[in-house]
Amino acid sequence: MPYEIYGLTVYVYVGLIMLGVLFSLVRFVAGPSAPDRVVATDILTTITTVVLVVLALFFKRQIYLDVALVYAVLAFTAVVAIARFLEGGL
Amino acid sequence: MNNLILFMGFGLSLVLVVATFVVWLSKDLLVAILGSAVVSLVASIFFLILQAPDVAITEAAIGAGLTTGILLYAMKKAGRYEDD
Amino acid sequence: MIRKIIAFLVVFYFGYILYSFIAVNFPFGERPLKGVAAHYVDKGIEEEGATNIVTSIVTLYRGFDTLGEVTVLFLAATGLGLLLAGMKEEEKEKPEPTLIMETTTRYLFPLVLLFGTYIFIHGHLTPGGGFPAGVVIATGYFMMFIAQKQFKPSEYLLSATESFAGTLYVIMGLLGLALAFSFLANVMPLGVPNTVFSAGIIPVIYIIIGFKVGSEMTGILAHLKEA
Repeated sequence: MPYEIYGLTVYVYVGLIMLGVLFSLVRFVAGPSAPDRVVATDILTTITTVVLVVLALFFKRQIYLDVALVYAVLAFTAVVAIARFLEGGL
Repeated sequence: MNNLILFMGFGLSLVLVVATFVVWLSKDLLVAILGSAVVSLVASIFFLILQAPDVAITEAAIGAGLTTGILLYAMKKAGRYEDD
Repeated sequence: MIRKIIAFLVVFYFGYILYSFIAVNFPFGERPLKGVAAHYVDKGIEEEGATNIVTSIVTLYRGFDTLGEVTVLFLAATGLGLLLAGMKEEEKEKPEPTLIMETTTRYLFPLVLLFGTYIFIHGHLTPGGGFPAGVVIATGYFMMFIAQKQFKPSEYLLSATESFAGTLYVIMGLLGLALAFSFLANVMPLGVPNTVFSAGIIPVIYIIIGFKVGSEMTGILAHLKEA
């Protein structure tokens, strides 16, 4: 059975992660200006990296870490591109 | 599946629905591009939960930067706000 | 108002369908397989030598389809170049990128290229393969496009790489046809599974696809930047 649990700690991780997702989602929907939403998207990207790592821990597969690595290396590019667009230099 | 995955899947489905709703109804196309980036994030997590790491890594690589870049270049040509 | 309600209902319905896919108790890896799926899982490693069975399905068992996909991508890139050929924008004054951004991307760019290389070299051992690796490399080039003032890859070199990789892919297929009487047959030695030098022609094909997709995507971004 691959879905074995590391005690209570994974529950605590997932609870905190979901709290972070909820707050950044509120900012993404409500945020009056576009830069607010850009920051919310950036936070969601970081949280996604963490979720992928927790899933790799949960399923006990080391190779799943590669997916998290892709996000960790590349995800800032989108935010930098949007910042350049708002600056007028794309 | 496990309760933990169910809870996570419920929250992430909520994110997916809300982000899609924002993309659909927003008049500011920059916000729509951001919403599609969020949808791609959640889709990548779902592919990993459904045990398809190859698809997940492809979705991650495309959604992390390339889609946003191509859509931004297109938006620079087409104008930022959608008219009614 | 009625439009918003309909939109919400449709989106909510699709979200519910997706959640029900997650919620169903699907026994991954516990159901007995039948037919061709069982053949892939049982005989895949000893026939083709790749630890990642999805890879051996994509490049060898269904290799002709992958050649078709690469051709479709090539057609899309060519069509975009044709569409944007006459739309040259006049040069406007752009604000300078800041020092932090310029320096960071200059040092990060080789690392992103290295990461893309890692993904396509290890395509038969870990998830990934040629297409994500090419996209990662193209994202590195996109990073340079937005953060460096004077950065322009040679268009001739990009299309030469693309054509050379495409030709090499077809030559690999024809080599299989000549030596083993089957297009894209695994003609190279299989090696020990779970090591980098294994799985016959799969790493070679993934290196070719990585170069091809990377140069194509970079070409698309360069065309869009010019337009």
